Amino acid sequence: MLAAFILKRLLWAIPFLFAVSIVAFALIQAPPGDYLTTFAATLAASGDVVDSERLDALRTRYGLDQPFLVQYWKWISGVLQGDFGISFEWQQPVSGLIWERMGLSVCLAVSTLLFTWALAFPIGIYSAVRKYSIGDYIVSTLGFIGLATPNFLLALVLMYIGVVHFGTDVGGLFSDRYQAAPWSWGKFVDLLTHIWVPVVILGTSATASLIRIMRANLLDELNKPYVTTARAKGLSEFRLLVKYPVRLALNPFISTIGWAFPQLISGAVITAFVLSLPTAGPLLLQALLAQDMYLAGAFILLLCCLTVVGMLVSDILLALVDPRVRYR
Amino acid sequence: MADSRSIRFALALAGAMAPSAAVEAAEHEAPMLAERVAAGELPPLAVRLPERPEIIAPVDEIGRYGGTLRRALAGSNDHNNILRIVGPQGLTRWNADWTAPLPNVAESWDVEDEGRAFVFHLRPGMKWSDGHPFGADDILFNVDDLMLNPDFGPVPARYVIGGEPVAVEKIDDVTVRFTFAAPFGSFPAELASPRGQHPVLHPRHYCGQFHPDHADDIEALLKAENVPDWPTLFQNKCGDIEIPARWGNPDKPTLDPWVIVEPYAGGATRVTLERNPYFWQVDTEGNQLPYIDAITNTVMSDSQAVILEAIAGRIDLQARHLDNPADRPVLAQNREAGGYDFFETYSTGGTLLLLQPNLNHKDEELRDLFNKKDFRVALSLGMDRKRMIDIALLGQGEPWQYGPYRDSPLFHERIATQFLDYDPETANALLDDLGLSRRDAEGFRLLPSGRRVAFKVDVIPTLFTEALDLLELTAQDWEKLGIDMEINSIERSFFFERVSSNYDHDWAVWPANAGWQQGTLLQEMVPIWQGARYGIGWWKWVTSDGKQGVEPPGHVKKRLALNDEARAAVTFDEYKRVVHEIADIAADQFEVIGTSTDLPRYGIVGDRLRNVPGSMPSSFDYPTPAPTLPQQYFFAE
Repeated sequence: MLAAFILKRLLWAIPFLFAVSIVAFALIQAPPGDYLTTFAATLAASGDVVDSERLDALRTRYGLDQPFLVQYWKWISGVLQGDFGISFEWQQPVSGLIWERMGLSVCLAVSTLLFTWALAFPIGIYSAVRKYSIGDYIVSTLGFIGLATPNFLLALVLMYIGVVHFGTDVGGLFSDRYQAAPWSWGKFVDLLTHIWVPVVILGTSATASLIRIMRANLLDELNKPYVTTARAKGLSEFRLLVKYPVRLALNPFISTIGWAFPQLISGAVITAFVLSLPTAGPLLLQALLAQDMYLAGAFILLLCCLTVVGMLVSDILLALVDPRVRYR
Repeated sequence: MADSRSIRFALALAGAMAPSAAVEAAEHEAPMLAERVAAGELPPLAVRLPERPEIIAPVDEIGRYGGTLRRALAGSNDHNNILRIVGPQGLTRWNADWTAPLPNVAESWDVEDEGRAFVFHLRPGMKWSDGHPFGADDILFNVDDLMLNPDFGPVPARYVIGGEPVAVEKIDDVTVRFTFAAPFGSFPAELASPRGQHPVLHPRHYCGQFHPDHADDIEALLKAENVPDWPTLFQNKCGDIEIPARWGNPDKPTLDPWVIVEPYAGGATRVTLERNPYFWQVDTEGNQLPYIDAITNTVMSDSQAVILEAIAGRIDLQARHLDNPADRPVLAQNREAGGYDFFETYSTGGTLLLLQPNLNHKDEELRDLFNKKDFRVALSLGMDRKRMIDIALLGQGEPWQYGPYRDSPLFHERIATQFLDYDPETANALLDDLGLSRRDAEGFRLLPSGRRVAFKVDVIPTLFTEALDLLELTAQDWEKLGIDMEINSIERSFFFERVSSNYDHDWAVWPANAGWQQGTLLQEMVPIWQGARYGIGWWKWVTSDGKQGVEPPGHVKKRLALNDEARAAVTFDEYKRVVHEIADIAADQFEVIGTSTDLPRYGIVGDRLRNVPGSMPSSFDYPTPAPTLPQQYFFAE
């Protein structure tokens, strides 16, 4: 039953990804000009001059003067053979560039997710059970502030305070000493001392929104007759809460896994940009800005794959946790 | 920071206590190199230097070795920021004043046959950064196998004159002759620009392995590296003058004072360079340059973060990304806390904002109108430049059309100062005489066909903050003349697509800081590059041999011919005579309209950094600050 469900979903993903690849490629090509126009424009903006005949030669070599379908075919036939092409900007294979950054992206996304859950779960339950108490008001106020403040703004404010008042370095994930060093215990510890800043910045709004969702869902459940019944039958308050209403209110937490996967890449692009984090987001943004189309295309394709896989995983988990989803 | 320096100082002391041979060497080379010599990893200094190293007189004083110069790059595509500090080590380089080319990699050169041939004498015993000898064969490799190789790309215009590309011959291991079909007096000046580094860019012994004529089995290599053709492979491994890959391969030997250690690759958060042990310049006491051990470039994604780095005192020398006049107050305010001061970078000529009508406009009526000189004169007279400068530039500037400033030997009075007085009466009279006296209900003038005299000025709003203010004020002034000018803010690659690759615009604006030095493009006067936004159609016609674009009129053709003559000029006086002849025609035609002289700009320099001039020209052709020789900058105790 479950296996058939998974197989069906996977088969559906193939035409979907194919359609997405065309749309993605078309969107990347949609802005006027191409990579070399943007390249010349960037250089000119800094007062640099580049020979136009060099640009024309590169345009021919990269095949940018060819029609859309020819370019798409060149790209997709390479992708099917596992060759994502070369990044124009860096003259490096796209696959190398992406994987290099994915490790830290995964690390950051998982830490942020755990941080979010660790905070949102107990606080959400607390503010639902102690509805309209002082604690609930405080938590709700903080939650609304967290929801309303854009992450990147928080990042900028923290950076400014860090630089001006403490003279610390808040950008990046490593100290100077460890930036080029191979992985070691020292480097890991160094990462831990740096990663909490982006985790907190990225986690605030997600935490805030999960608290609100948890609270609302739980409030719905708490007033239902089965809760009253269970309480009347003498079940302990804690056991009652955790065993039934909380389990039902958990669904949105599981759904977040679905969108946590694509967040690995696209999540918090601007925050990562501002904080100069060596994660995938800024590279994606830069690739799009520079019209570095093979790099951008590979990112977007990966993003779509992750979305598909993430949704599948969260659907499976939901089915496992909630029998109602399974039998529908 | 202080710790690492005291460690280096301790190392220097340790070196001084070593056996006497090492003592001698340690006096003229960096302690970090003396150590490697003592350990037998590096040949002694006398072997590493050429027979006659270039002797550099430091700006203020003899320096001391050590330290790391800290800078910042803004995201990707900032590779020229590295180029500017390392310097384009071409056969020649500009002097610090940007008035004449000096020998650089070449020890000297002779001009033969009235400027048709140039013999460059290289430095005997000079070496690449890996210790391999540098010589005439490297130049032949760069010119014959790459520059003139159609598979690699078209021959850069810099090496073509009279329709014929350069020919190069080896006289002996350290002597090379470049021969042209026609006189080309500007050649040494062209070689001094960053874009003129081709002849000495790639080491034959290393880059040859990526070239089909030198590699053992290029096909196998292409397969192994998974690239379609050898030029792509070559570019990946050896880079080119102006692409990021130039700084992406630590294995590639160079002639630069510092060589790449941590490359500028995709996703890099830091780019570091370390001294070249074989660098071929010494100071007046015979100490090998550079003084500074290493350069660290932090890659910040956001250019605002670069300013934050500066304020935090983590930048030792930089003008790029910090020279926007709008950022100056915050930099000035944090000067003491950040431990830095300013140095001036100045333009040698030109205007902050050049307004360029599209004289090849595809709409016939507008084209005719824009091509009338009196129309452009009227618009210039109708601009209150003093008011613009007071409001938009806080009074910093002088009304100016374009061209070199007064202290330049190339100053041309008429082109710089004609039609600058604010005179709306004359302007209105001129417009009336053009047959534009009829007006519509809103008071705007009408063309004979009944259309309103209206056009758009294309501008990239993010380019610099003052541009939009200047244009707003211009629009107000022109509205008083009955001209409906609309500011068309567009995204930059769209701008390039519309205004440089094509000529679909009405008008376009761009900064035009140009001092007309030999070897630079006179694009405001002659349509020879995509920056000539008044005559993109003419430029297309010239570059396509008449197949595309618009055939230029006689006065433009004359200027194109004179431009070739200017390139041919061997002496400065001859060059000046020809350039002024071009300027005379351009002044008669008055095709483009200037606004104000450029704003004074600044870079920041750390308090402990010495030998940095207080003032230097600002340009990519120079390129700032390379000709002031960063290799002789040093950190005081």
